[in-house]
Amino acid sequence: MREDMLASILSDLNGTSADIEASAVISTDGLLMASLLPANLDEDRVGAMSAAMLSLGDRTAQELARGELEQVLIRGNKGYVIMTHAGTEAVVSVMAKSTAKLGLIFLDVKRASEAISKLI
Amino acid sequence: MPDIDFQQLTDYAKQFTGLTKEQEDILIELSQEIKPYLPRITDSFYEVLLAIPKAQPFLEGRVETLKQTHIHWLEQVFSGPYDANYSQAMYHVGDVHVRVALPVEFMVGAMTLVGVRLTEVLGEILIDDPSRLNKATTAVTSALGFTLMVMQQSYESSRLSEELDKFLKITGMSRTLFDNLASVYK
Repeated sequence: MREDMLASILSDLNGTSADIEASAVISTDGLLMASLLPANLDEDRVGAMSAAMLSLGDRTAQELARGELEQVLIRGNKGYVIMTHAGTEAVVSVMAKSTAKLGLIFLDVKRASEAISKLI
Repeated sequence: MPDIDFQQLTDYAKQFTGLTKEQEDILIELSQEIKPYLPRITDSFYEVLLAIPKAQPFLEGRVETLKQTHIHWLEQVFSGPYDANYSQAMYHVGDVHVRVALPVEFMVGAMTLVGVRLTEVLGEILIDDPSRLNKATTAVTSALGFTLMVMQQSYESSRLSEELDKFLKITGMSRTLFDNLASVYK
C-alpha cells in the first residue's frame, strides 16, 4: 500500500518533466522502497549508492560549515543525479538528462520529497 | 570478535607452517625438560623489550603480570594441543595487542626473539642428541610460526575493523548502509 503510494509520487515526479529519466525512494540504510528506473540500472546499486552519497553529503556540509544539507548534485557528461532527504528515514534520488533545466527539477524534487516524508 | 572458523584457521596455519601431530608429540615430550628454563627465557625476553624505547610504554608497571602470562603461554607451546581452542586463544591475544595499539612489527620481532631463546635452550638440553635437537628445533619453529600466523590474522582483522570504524565515522554512514553497499558490490 505504502509502496504503491510512493510509486505514485515518483510517477507524478517523473511526469513533471521529460528531462527526468528515473527516480527512487530509498531508506537511509540504502534499501530501495520504491522506484521508477530504466531496466539498465541496478536497483540495489542505485539505492545503496544514493544513500551513501547523501550520508557523505551530510557530513561534508557539517564539516565545512554549510549548514543543514538540502541536496547532493552530481553532474556527469550524460546527465545529473540529484539526491535529497525525504524526512529523516528516506532519500529521494532523481536522474535527469544533461540538458535538464535544473531550477524546475529542484522544485519538483522538493515537492516530491515533502510528500514522501509525510508517508514515511 | 569477528565470525571466524577457528578450525579452518587452524588447518590453514598448519598447512603453511607444516606443524604435524608428530611435531606436537615432540614438543610434549620436551615439556618437562624445558619447563625449568622457561622463566629464564621470559626474563631475557622482557629484558630485551625493556631496552627498546618504543616498547617501554606498553610495559611500564605491567612487566611482572606480563611475565606470568608469557610463561603460561610458553608452557602451552610445549603442551599443545594445537587445535581450534588454541587458535581462538591466540587470536584473542592478537586482538588485545591491536586494542592497545601495539605496533605491528612487535609481534614478529617478539616471536623471533622467543624462537631464538628457545633454540638456545634446546641446544643446551639436547647437546648430546643432535638428531633430537634437529627435530625439536624444527617443531618449535613450526609451532611458533603457527602461533604467529594466527595472531597476525587477528591483527589484520582487527586493524581492518578499526579502519572501517574510522571510515564510517568520517563519512557518517551507518554500519547497515555500509553492509548494504558492500553486498551490492560483492
